[in-house]
Amino acid sequence: MGRTKILGKWMLAAAAGSLVVAAACTPSSDDEGSSDGGGELTWAIGGAEAQPGGVDQKIAKLWNQQNPDNPITIETLPDEADQQREQQANVLQAESDEFDILGMDVIWTGEYSQNGWLESLDDVRDQIEPSVLEGAFDSAQWGGELWAAPFNTNAGFLYYRTDLIDQPPTTWDQLCQMAEQAGQKNGIGGLIGQGRKYEGFVVNWLEYYWSAGGELYNEDNSEVLFDPDIATQTTEFMQQAMDDGCFAPGFNTATEEEARAAFQTGKAVFMRNWPYAYQLIQDEGDPEVANNFDIAPLPTFSGQGTISALGGFNNAVSAYSSNKDAAKEFVVWASTDPEVQKMLATDASVPPVLTSVYDELQNEPDMALLSKVLPDAKPRPPAPTWNTISVEMQDALFPAYNGDGDPADASQSVADAFNESVE
Amino acid sequence: MAEVATESRTLSGPGPGGRRPRTKGVSEKGLGRLFVTPAIGLMVLVALFPVIYAFVVSLRAYTGRQYEGFAGFENYSEALNDDKFWASLQFTFTFTVISVGAEFIIGLGFALLMNQAFRGRGITRAAILVPWVIPTVIAAQMWFFMFNVNPGFINSALGLGEFNWLGESGWVKFAVIFADVWKTAPFVALLLLAGLQTIPTDVYESARVDGANAWQRFWHITLPLLRPAIFVALLFRTIEALRVYDLPQVMTGGAFDTESLSMVVQQYVVKTPDPGLGSALSTITFTIILGIGVIFVSLLGRELVIGRKDQ
Repeated sequence: MGRTKILGKWMLAAAAGSLVVAAACTPSSDDEGSSDGGGELTWAIGGAEAQPGGVDQKIAKLWNQQNPDNPITIETLPDEADQQREQQANVLQAESDEFDILGMDVIWTGEYSQNGWLESLDDVRDQIEPSVLEGAFDSAQWGGELWAAPFNTNAGFLYYRTDLIDQPPTTWDQLCQMAEQAGQKNGIGGLIGQGRKYEGFVVNWLEYYWSAGGELYNEDNSEVLFDPDIATQTTEFMQQAMDDGCFAPGFNTATEEEARAAFQTGKAVFMRNWPYAYQLIQDEGDPEVANNFDIAPLPTFSGQGTISALGGFNNAVSAYSSNKDAAKEFVVWASTDPEVQKMLATDASVPPVLTSVYDELQNEPDMALLSKVLPDAKPRPPAPTWNTISVEMQDALFPAYNGDGDPADASQSVADAFNESVE
Repeated sequence: MAEVATESRTLSGPGPGGRRPRTKGVSEKGLGRLFVTPAIGLMVLVALFPVIYAFVVSLRAYTGRQYEGFAGFENYSEALNDDKFWASLQFTFTFTVISVGAEFIIGLGFALLMNQAFRGRGITRAAILVPWVIPTVIAAQMWFFMFNVNPGFINSALGLGEFNWLGESGWVKFAVIFADVWKTAPFVALLLLAGLQTIPTDVYESARVDGANAWQRFWHITLPLLRPAIFVALLFRTIEALRVYDLPQVMTGGAFDTESLSMVVQQYVVKTPDPGLGSALSTITFTIILGIGVIFVSLLGRELVIGRKDQ
């Protein structure tokens, strides 16, 4: 009897436990701020900076001080980009005016505009184009039309250990040589980057591909220029780097944070990562790393120049917004106001899009490097089918560079995915 | 149930030959049906509607999220010709068979242990159940850290240096299955323990008097009487394992052929939206799981019927 009683208690506890989990998964139903009262705006954006205390909240506050008639509230979306996109898609699919301003990853522009979810910003193009970075501006266009105002941008850095390397490498082959030598000597890994099977891997692969002279599309994204031969060389280079130990152990399971963890605990000579890691390594890294690292542009295969993939977020106006004029005003302001854009850099280490901010913050090493790297940074094509292409690239190229598939076959299936995208 | 029925029969007055008078309004059976209608209606709405809706959507053609018209069974033929589907089906089955098998054996061991009277039994029982209470995503993230090269807890514990568990074809599957067994063996143990406690102790006592040793008692008494509980545990675990999503998603992202059926469904519903194809895939998944469920339930049903006859 006592036994059954105790068992019953556990079952109850276990059931209660699962209920708590279920409750935690249910979306909260507070719709505050999305009421369609005349002047109010809702900004649907996700990520760490949209959380309370994040810089997006500060920007919203600043806007509200200056525009008490059109106050803005942030609808915080999940951290994961796919989930942000899904939540926005649900609202937009229903043609709801719940969201006025959409914080969009740079690769969603084509998909959203093709679905008719966005208000064209061509009439305010002149207010934005002259003052923001070219690559960021390109990522907000699709089909020759401007669909969003660039908000923040992003580019890859090469982080390296100054106590192990004298001069940062300018070619990938040089990097691998240094990585293997310095790594072996000190018993640590070579280069760590984003090699896990996800979007970040596609970004890393593209940086090798572009720096070998490859292209994806022509200027207006109407023709595919994908080169299977260069793609095969790229994948073979990565495969070789895996085998030789140029890539640090765990390269193929690392996202941004695993890479940072490995580098800042002294387990790798080099790291490819976004600028956000610069401050964090100084704050959190082991002293031997925190005091002995620097940043440099990513190498290329020829040793000429530098190439980086462009990331970042743009703000778009929803086609279903009931307050489009004010929403438009906000996105232009967030893109071009010097105070807002500077806040991104100083409060959050998020690279701004306004060129003047870079001149102003020249003395910050990460900002100085960004202004050197960004002019040559390439956006992933904001094609409507980018996600399909990206998944195809992950499915084909990941096994190939890990020795589970043939690089040439992989290049061919990626080429097919690109060709399908323009048909 | 039988008691209630006889009682109400006496109330309404038994007719000649024990037959109920049919003239008096709604029959008892009808009344019973009437009473369960709201509950069944709610279940249909909650459980059946999404299934039917998914089937309807699976017959439509989409470009991106835009509806293009009726497609017939085109989405199904596309799904069945997709290498990704077959690869994920293979992984899902491998995962299910190995993980459920291991969970059953380990869970049975735990259940037998927890059923013994010994000092510290309460703490043992509680400790064994801890993994099951942890949400799967968190368990998955935890095991990712355990297996991953960095920080590499398992490597340092076993002195394996920099072995790349999650980056080597084959070992990845081992890691994912290992994490699942760790997570859900306690659940199997819990169900089997409940079954063990329904076995009357006097059966064991008389077996002992007859001179049966521990193994004979286990083989001839415990296992046969535990059968219904075993079937329930295997049914629950098999169905859950066939739907697995969070473990491989968090631990591997589908790398090295560890993409489960549910992950492929998620891809077509969310990541690269094609609601028609996504729904076709989820309908196929549903059919597979339903089929396996039906096999289990029919076995389980027979088991129960045979058990009752014996008494």
